[in-house]
Amino acid sequence: MKILFFTGKGGVGKSTMAAASAWQLSQKSRVLIISLDPAHNLGDIFGTVIKHGKTKFTNTLYLNEVNLQELSREYLQKEISVLSSTYRYLQVLNLDNYFSILKYSPGIEEYALLTSIEKTIRDETDFDYIIFDTPPTGLTLRFLALPKVTITWIDRLIGIRRQILEKRYTIHRIRGTLSSEETVLDYKEEDDDILKRLWELNDNYQALDRTLCGSDCNVVLVFNPDILSLRESQRLIEGLDDLCLPLRLLVDNKVTEENEEMVTYVEKQMKGMAQDVPLERIQLAKTLLDGRKSALYDIRESIIPDSW
Amino acid sequence: MVLPILEFFKRILSDFDTAHRESAAALTGVEVKELENIFALLLLGSFIGLPAPPSFLAVELLPFMERELKVLNSRARDAGDMLAEMVGTIGIG
Repeated sequence: MKILFFTGKGGVGKSTMAAASAWQLSQKSRVLIISLDPAHNLGDIFGTVIKHGKTKFTNTLYLNEVNLQELSREYLQKEISVLSSTYRYLQVLNLDNYFSILKYSPGIEEYALLTSIEKTIRDETDFDYIIFDTPPTGLTLRFLALPKVTITWIDRLIGIRRQILEKRYTIHRIRGTLSSEETVLDYKEEDDDILKRLWELNDNYQALDRTLCGSDCNVVLVFNPDILSLRESQRLIEGLDDLCLPLRLLVDNKVTEENEEMVTYVEKQMKGMAQDVPLERIQLAKTLLDGRKSALYDIRESIIPDSW
Repeated sequence: MVLPILEFFKRILSDFDTAHRESAAALTGVEVKELENIFALLLLGSFIGLPAPPSFLAVELLPFMERELKVLNSRARDAGDMLAEMVGTIGIG
């Protein structure tokens, strides 16, 4: 199973390119395309309504739009219910409602997004390709950085937790069988709830990090022949490099005969930053230039190389 | 007559043992409390402006953190009288 992330500046045609690639790949293989962008337009591109969850478009092509707000809400609801059951006695005083304030925790959206990617990669194994249409650069880099940042933190926390348990064990040994408050505390690593949870999280994130940096993951960078798009794409390449994420394809979208000079300049600059990455050029549809309607199937060029 | 005296000495010895064990464990106990305090501070540091881990990590572990939060709270309460705290730890007076 191959995983494709379509990234790039807002408005360069990420969703269109992702949709066109999904359509082309679905001629031969089973494809699932997921839009992670809060401003969804996957349904509009395919001219259909995507309901909650996976929607079948053809036998080999499935569409999905992730609802970020709903995901965050679901995740927090789960945590709140664990909290409420741990602190059940608060229900007597009717204080448990205060946990609902957690709904407004910042930073939960990126996590919800990452969880949904992880779940998709884990569950949807019967597809040959999973294509993710990502939100604009800033948010994308933030959530793709999340596994590495989290692993660093988890490592540190596990270290401290182990030290705590070690010291508790020392105390337990010194005191012997004496009954006291301290001896009731867990000192075995496998009994400690916090350490168990940290290990579990660590395993999940290591697996996700391996998948994202592995050979089956491909990042496709879409850009336009203009300076603004070039600058942001360059920053994105640097960001991907820092995170060791594999950039595998550059797509120069909206190329016209009139802007040949700019096309050559921007492509040269991009190739300078990513030497070994193949570049695909996609012409701007004539019908769009004339202000007429254009269909997804008008993109005749094959975007994804046959070797994938 | 002999038995109660023997019991008495046994008791003295065992209390002696306990006292020594307690004093040996006490300092480690303080260390553990400090570590638990640091653990809670690291996770929930955003409340006092420390750089914090991704907030979901705090949310994820919060259900199991009752003891650490209590320690954090008591450390914060005692922070006003650090001298007394140190004197108590070292065992002066």
